[in-house]
Amino acid sequence: MPTSIWRGLLSFGVGAIIWEATARYLDNKLFLVPLGAIFDRFMEMARSGDLAADASVSFIEFIGGFGLAAIVGIGAGIAMSASKRIREFFDPWVSMLYATPTIALGPLFMLALGIGYGSKIALIFLTAVFPILINTVAGLTTTDRVLLEVVRSFGATRMQTYFKVRMPAALPFIIAGLRVAVARALVGVVVAELFGARAGLGFLIFRSAQVFDTAGLWVSVFILAICGVASVEFLKWVEKRMAPWRFQNIEDE
Amino acid sequence: MATKLATRGLGKSFQKDGKAIEALRGLDLDIARGEFVSIVGASGCGKTTFLRLINGLIKPTSGTVTLDGADVSAPGANIAFVFQQDGLFPWRNVLDNTVIGPELQRKDMNEARRTASSFLNLVGLRGFEKHFPHELSGGMKQRVNMARALTAGADVLLMDEPFAALDAQTREIMQAELTRIWRETGKTILFVTHQIDEAVFLSDRVLVFTVRPGRLKEEVTIDLPRPRELTLKRAPQFANYVDHIWQSIEQEVRESIRLETEATLAIAKR
Repeated sequence: MPTSIWRGLLSFGVGAIIWEATARYLDNKLFLVPLGAIFDRFMEMARSGDLAADASVSFIEFIGGFGLAAIVGIGAGIAMSASKRIREFFDPWVSMLYATPTIALGPLFMLALGIGYGSKIALIFLTAVFPILINTVAGLTTTDRVLLEVVRSFGATRMQTYFKVRMPAALPFIIAGLRVAVARALVGVVVAELFGARAGLGFLIFRSAQVFDTAGLWVSVFILAICGVASVEFLKWVEKRMAPWRFQNIEDE
Repeated sequence: MATKLATRGLGKSFQKDGKAIEALRGLDLDIARGEFVSIVGASGCGKTTFLRLINGLIKPTSGTVTLDGADVSAPGANIAFVFQQDGLFPWRNVLDNTVIGPELQRKDMNEARRTASSFLNLVGLRGFEKHFPHELSGGMKQRVNMARALTAGADVLLMDEPFAALDAQTREIMQAELTRIWRETGKTILFVTHQIDEAVFLSDRVLVFTVRPGRLKEEVTIDLPRPRELTLKRAPQFANYVDHIWQSIEQEVRESIRLETEATLAIAKR
């Protein structure tokens, strides 16, 4: 294994020791519970099947919202990059909505769409779509001019230029957009469920807090953190595989 | 010798900030088949514009370009461009970069890959087919760039300062390599450069352009024996040619600097 992984593990180990020591010293079971207790609670919840049920609800919401955001974000990005007029018309909206904490619209969605999947997917979609859209547009409109000139000098058609130059050049940008969107979508899952839900990992946090089940709360937080790290790392890996030239300078250090 | 490429009354004007700028005026040139011709001139003499016109990347304001007697109106398979920046696709390996010409022209890809391999071999890159551009040095990238132009199957190569971004030693080696490749392939080459010694070393003929609008100022036939080795650069005749062309160009360079200074001052005043 590379040393970077060992250092990472060591870092986690030190973190766990500090956690454990702090938890025992403070002895405040409402705030920080020992890791052992969290693990026990996890096993308990896993055995009862509650955890799987909550996780699958959140998973469906995430896939629905994020999937929709990816399709719409990339699709709209392609449309916007095709025409300067379309782009200039929609740009103010995109910039404004990207900068707005759309999470704040959660209660509104709850009123309009109820507390089922619809409102959750809508909110997750809205938090995740803009980084994807913006990166798709940026990727497709900032193609290296030299590369475009090269294919033109070889007599490329417009379609060839699009599929052989602009698209592959944009792909790393799009994946980077997806990576940012994954993190935002996970926040969307939790917040959407906090506003009102019957199940889900975000709802589990809310429910656990209400019955002073701090260990149960931490179980949910840990699962969300692991999912977040895993998906971001996965997309980073894909990005590195597909566009190794973009990571050259970082790795040289 | 048979004429490969000819221009008649070739001129080009651009619109810039509402003003028409004349880049080239009235060029009548004949390039023979298999000839190596360099174009030198101060910045802003329209050298690059000239190459782009010949390739059909841009349309002339006046005059014509003919290749083997036929008008050149759009980029095609017969003329290939070698750009100053290597212009390699970072997501394609060396072999896939080299076959882009035939690929865009929907040629048989198996044959294209065979051709590409043999040209990669010719430019000294055997065994690098699967490497990616970011793994190559500047000199190697320009070799791929040349192999790509050759693989496109063009008779005429247009080279726009292809070695300008390389360090001095690599540039010398690439000059020697290019003369060898030219000799082995028999291509007609139009080569644009700022380096007078590079032009003299490579060429049968050096064309000196005037500053804006670019016109033909002088035509110098380089009567030095071939094949040429890099040691030729230390010969007295070589120095005489370089000296002569420099004198022809010096006034143009001064004029070019004056024009640039004026333009910068005009921008500063606004």
